[in-house]
Amino acid sequence: MKSGKRFLSALVLCMDVGFSMSNSGPGEEPPFELAKKVIQKFVQRQVFAETKDELALVLFGTEDTKNPLALDRQYQHITIHRHLMVADFELLEEIENQIHPESQQADWLDALVVCMDLLQKETKGKKYDRLNIALLTDLNAQSSSDHLDVIIENLKRAGITLQFFLPFPVKDDEEGGGNGGRRSPGHPGTGKGLSMEQKDSVDMMKHIMLTLDEEDGLDQIHTFRNAIEQLRMFKGIERRPMAWPCQLTIGSSLSIRIVGFKAVTEEKLKKIWATVDAQTAQKEDVKRETVYCLDDDNETEVQKDDTIQGFLYGSDIVPFSKVDQDQMKYTHDGKCFAVLGFAKENTVRRHQFMGNQVIKIFAARGDEHAGVALSAVIRALDECKMVAIVRYAYDRRSNPQIGAAFPCIKRDYECLMYVQLPFTEDLRQFTFPSLENNKKFTPSETQLSAVDSLIDSMMLVEEDENGEKRDMLKVHHIPNPAFQRHFQCLHHRAVCPGTPLPPMESWLKAALERPEVISERCQAPLEEMKKKFPLTQVEKKKKLKTSAQIFGKDSEVPDAKKAKGDDEEEEEEYNLADIAEGSVTSVGSVNPDRDFCTLIKRKSLPFGEVCQQLTHRIEQLLGNKNTHYYMKSITCIQAFREQSVKQGNAELYNSYLQSLKRSIPNRGLEVFWDLLVQDAITLISKDEVDGSFVSKNEANQFLVAEEKKEETTAPPAEDTGDFDDLLDMM
Amino acid sequence: MAEWNAYYRNEDDEEEQEEGEQSGGDYKITGRDSLVFLVDASKEMFIKGEDGQPSNFDMTMQAVRSVYTSKIISSHRDLMALVFYGTEQSKNPRNSFKHVYVYHDLDEPGAKRVQDVDALQGEKGGQLAAETMGSGETSLGDALWCCANLYSDIKLRLSHKRLMIFTCRDEPHGGNSTKDRQARTKASDLKETGVVIDLMHLMKPGGFDVSIFFRDIVSPPEDESELGLQLEPCDKLEDLKKRVRAKEQKKRAMARLNLCLGEGLNVAVGLYATAVTARKPGAIKLYRETNEPVRSKTRTFHTQTGSLLLPSDIKKAQVYGKKQIVMEKDEVDAIKKFDDPGLLLIGFKPMEKLKLHHHVRPAVFLYPEEGEVKGSACLFSALLTKCSERNVFALCRCISRRNYPPRFVALVPQKEEIDEGKVQITPPGFNVIFLPYADDFRTLDPPQFPTASQTQVDKMKEIISKLRFRYRSDAFENPVIQQHYRNLEALALDMMAPEDVEDLIMPKAEQMDHRLGPLAQEFKDLVYPSDYNPETKPAAKRKTADTGGGAEKKPKVEVSEDELRAHVQNGTMGKLTVPVLKEACKQVGVRTTGTKKQELIDALIARLGS
Repeated sequence: MKSGKRFLSALVLCMDVGFSMSNSGPGEEPPFELAKKVIQKFVQRQVFAETKDELALVLFGTEDTKNPLALDRQYQHITIHRHLMVADFELLEEIENQIHPESQQADWLDALVVCMDLLQKETKGKKYDRLNIALLTDLNAQSSSDHLDVIIENLKRAGITLQFFLPFPVKDDEEGGGNGGRRSPGHPGTGKGLSMEQKDSVDMMKHIMLTLDEEDGLDQIHTFRNAIEQLRMFKGIERRPMAWPCQLTIGSSLSIRIVGFKAVTEEKLKKIWATVDAQTAQKEDVKRETVYCLDDDNETEVQKDDTIQGFLYGSDIVPFSKVDQDQMKYTHDGKCFAVLGFAKENTVRRHQFMGNQVIKIFAARGDEHAGVALSAVIRALDECKMVAIVRYAYDRRSNPQIGAAFPCIKRDYECLMYVQLPFTEDLRQFTFPSLENNKKFTPSETQLSAVDSLIDSMMLVEEDENGEKRDMLKVHHIPNPAFQRHFQCLHHRAVCPGTPLPPMESWLKAALERPEVISERCQAPLEEMKKKFPLTQVEKKKKLKTSAQIFGKDSEVPDAKKAKGDDEEEEEEYNLADIAEGSVTSVGSVNPDRDFCTLIKRKSLPFGEVCQQLTHRIEQLLGNKNTHYYMKSITCIQAFREQSVKQGNAELYNSYLQSLKRSIPNRGLEVFWDLLVQDAITLISKDEVDGSFVSKNEANQFLVAEEKKEETTAPPAEDTGDFDDLLDMM
Repeated sequence: MAEWNAYYRNEDDEEEQEEGEQSGGDYKITGRDSLVFLVDASKEMFIKGEDGQPSNFDMTMQAVRSVYTSKIISSHRDLMALVFYGTEQSKNPRNSFKHVYVYHDLDEPGAKRVQDVDALQGEKGGQLAAETMGSGETSLGDALWCCANLYSDIKLRLSHKRLMIFTCRDEPHGGNSTKDRQARTKASDLKETGVVIDLMHLMKPGGFDVSIFFRDIVSPPEDESELGLQLEPCDKLEDLKKRVRAKEQKKRAMARLNLCLGEGLNVAVGLYATAVTARKPGAIKLYRETNEPVRSKTRTFHTQTGSLLLPSDIKKAQVYGKKQIVMEKDEVDAIKKFDDPGLLLIGFKPMEKLKLHHHVRPAVFLYPEEGEVKGSACLFSALLTKCSERNVFALCRCISRRNYPPRFVALVPQKEEIDEGKVQITPPGFNVIFLPYADDFRTLDPPQFPTASQTQVDKMKEIISKLRFRYRSDAFENPVIQQHYRNLEALALDMMAPEDVEDLIMPKAEQMDHRLGPLAQEFKDLVYPSDYNPETKPAAKRKTADTGGGAEKKPKVEVSEDELRAHVQNGTMGKLTVPVLKEACKQVGVRTTGTKKQELIDALIARLGS
């Protein structure tokens, strides 16, 4: 790995557009169309991967001739469509719109020479790691093998590699059909057999390829179909791994020179969406501005310079300038991979891995001694089933982490794998109810065996006839569907502007579903599961408890309990409001006054009914004979009064208060009455509400006069002053 | 340059989104959590334990303090209160309750409060408590009522309300049935308004009998298995802290989803984030004059006309292959949508197929939601039992939120584990491990080295066994965050200097050296030649530094403007080096603040391209 160095390649796509490329059997796509697709897909990948690789496009079989070698009727019908440069959308559009089947034929060897010439001229003075020519043709034109050896010699000398893309497979006629290496059988074009020209050409091609690379030369001969299949995925953005040189330390005297590489990390798309003006599509036309304002009524604006930095410490606001912060903040010595100790591998739980990457640690390149030392660490850890717990810091500016280094021994290399572990502050130790100790949730034997057969039918890893395990679905071989879809849509929008986005490609959709074998096999077990496990959607209704349930718990709540007797049914309807949830449906016992006001405001229940609910609560409260309950009752009565005045309905309130007053002596509520008098809560007079039968004077006297009378006269006749009567009155 | 700003801002946005994904989820959360500590202040609480063990009161205060400080870090918006009952003195909002002392009203915890609680710790703390509050009569009913008032005085919407009673008396009213009854009534009132009441009962001679009184006070345990009440009383601080912490953290599903086993077979499950990277909180802006926080408003407007732009006035764009591709905001969202949120079972694989290095994101936890689909818990439990029995994981496709692209996940079964004190260590359920896609792997070219000999390996094994320790995931505090809060604490409380933070992830080199003794040298003798020093930099690097050094360190590098234009045209700007690009920027008069290569290139293209 020559780290830091740019890998650049130059590629010439050389496509046959001659007339034979349009020939096809019935119902088959002509080779021309397939070849065009290959080119399109390939260029797309280059564009979205934003590679710096350069490519050129040479067409042969064109009407015109446009190449520097075309002299003396040589190298005819060969056109350099595009010179060596980075791929862009312009090229994609040209491929889409300007490349058509044409009516000439040209010698593919001539075309190859033009490509070689182009590569040599246009790469001069620059450094490339790879020069490549991809030839897409049906090899149908007559070509002369005169200069074959010169051509091969030149290819070798210039270090140019070759790839052939053909409408038909070539290995087949050698090794007989059903070659394992080729995936899709039945290539078009194979059926009708090859022409004389093609057979000659195939021989020449093989000769070239085998001379260039004796062993694997023929591997670089592809069919259009296979190429399309392999190119359908947009290539991921390739990132060169960055080396992170450091020292692994154990104590103060033992250190090993290492180098780390990110091996697995959640890759994100590099580009983000810029905001542009809808009309002009210019991002320069859109400006974003942030202003600061005080949290007052006027939202007074404050200049940015007049602001300082602060932090919250719980409820405290602590002004803390950047300078102070930098001075006081945690600092450390920078880059570090220091062992704190060693722990049993099984004490580091997989689900506690933090961060989003795995770093592979090797010994420093070229340092054999470090290699041996690290190998000793890796092997010792592996044999002891232990891991190293380490302090890891990427550099001085980044925060240090705690993590584990696992030994990893592969066939061709050894390394440590570093994963971040949590800090105390990161953990949330939730407890969840036990599933096993709960009889309601314990599955029966038959239920368990239904799950068993479901697992059997859905095993993705199976042994084949040779006893080898085969994984049907390796998800880590699937490209990120988000990227695929993203590029598909971008490409569509770029080449077909003004049309709606296309549906998801079917291969992508299929890749995200169950493999077909599995979904067929699991049908029956699933049906069985459905029978064995009844599942019912719980209706989303707030669980409300009736007051009966609540007060039922405490058998000694006086009066309230008795009150229930007659109107049990009615009681059931009075659901206690869950005020906290903001869904007041009736007057509850916790904040009856608030509930009462809310209900009145909402007008969902008749005024009389709400009042009745309230008085019911007041009576319950008074039953407790405790100052706190008295206070609560008084706020209720106050609310009752206020709302009655607002509603212009004095009758209910007045009659309640009057009857309440009558019941005071019987129920021993004198202390409460005194409080009521103190707060001067009296009847509603005519002055306040028109319909009242009470004059202002009477209202004032209501509290005072009775008080005096109380001292002298006996309690009024209604000695059964239970609040059942009061309720009946309403 | 506008682009760079946009770039950074959007990066922030992305992070926020990420956060949202981890903690928020589809499940809407409004309101704040609240927690009231109702602590018995009777004489019994102050009795010291044997062998100088802290008193129950002391232990409680330490537990309260640890909750306070952890809340400040993890969720400072939560409201907390500290109330004592059975005191001689009274202090409560309307002073209507005797023997109830509201030490801290329901509010966000702050530095002052931590200090207050600190003051109540230890022997001095006991004295202070005796002076300020004293011990007197007990009426738990009044205390509960007082707490109820604290709740109802809060104007904010409270999403979760919890009350913890710390006591060592199982008969607080000494058999007074009226008071017992009042307390029960009040407790049920509280429970009715959604307050969850927990009992943190502490050790007392003769044992703590929950059934005498407190059984009726506390909320029934959620699983009805009565696990909660079988608990022995706490006699160790660690246990108490653990129990408090277990209850104190409100489990909150970041998403509620269906786990679809097949057509019409949907199990309701909740996703819980059990480990989330805690970050230093962001700074807030304050007005210089008053130190009051300021709000920021961001406006988008048209550069030319200055008019504010509505969402319909803007579109989104990306540039690829020199072409700007424009889409509607809706389309940008639509691209990300693959399916509705949910988990789709794909199949099962043996556990060994789950590779250690297939790690791209912290795991989340899966638990059934019986409240959504009845029968979920039973099916879930069956699946859990069988997966764990057969040592397989379930492979699923997971779409955690609306318009989120799918990820493949492994559902790894986890059996419930309980420690000696009957406190749950690991809950029953599935851990959801996020699996990487092909794009998430980077191609490495691993260097080849000779492997170590068995002697060398054995020596290292000796070293390893000398430095063994028991790893506990909660043993390491984040020194960066701790330092930040110590600093704030110091500033908030006008302390001279912040408290020292012990850096727990610093290797204890001295101790390690001591334990290793001659082993380190022996190992080095085995693997390194005598003239080898691993501390020195690799030789190759030196050389380049030497040759490149001197007067001609920075050769003037220039390209002509024509050449630049040609590079822009051909899209080959990338070939130029950063110093060349910087020089070029100066040359053509582009002001750059960027140092990244792409930024320089973009700036030059913007200038020369069109």
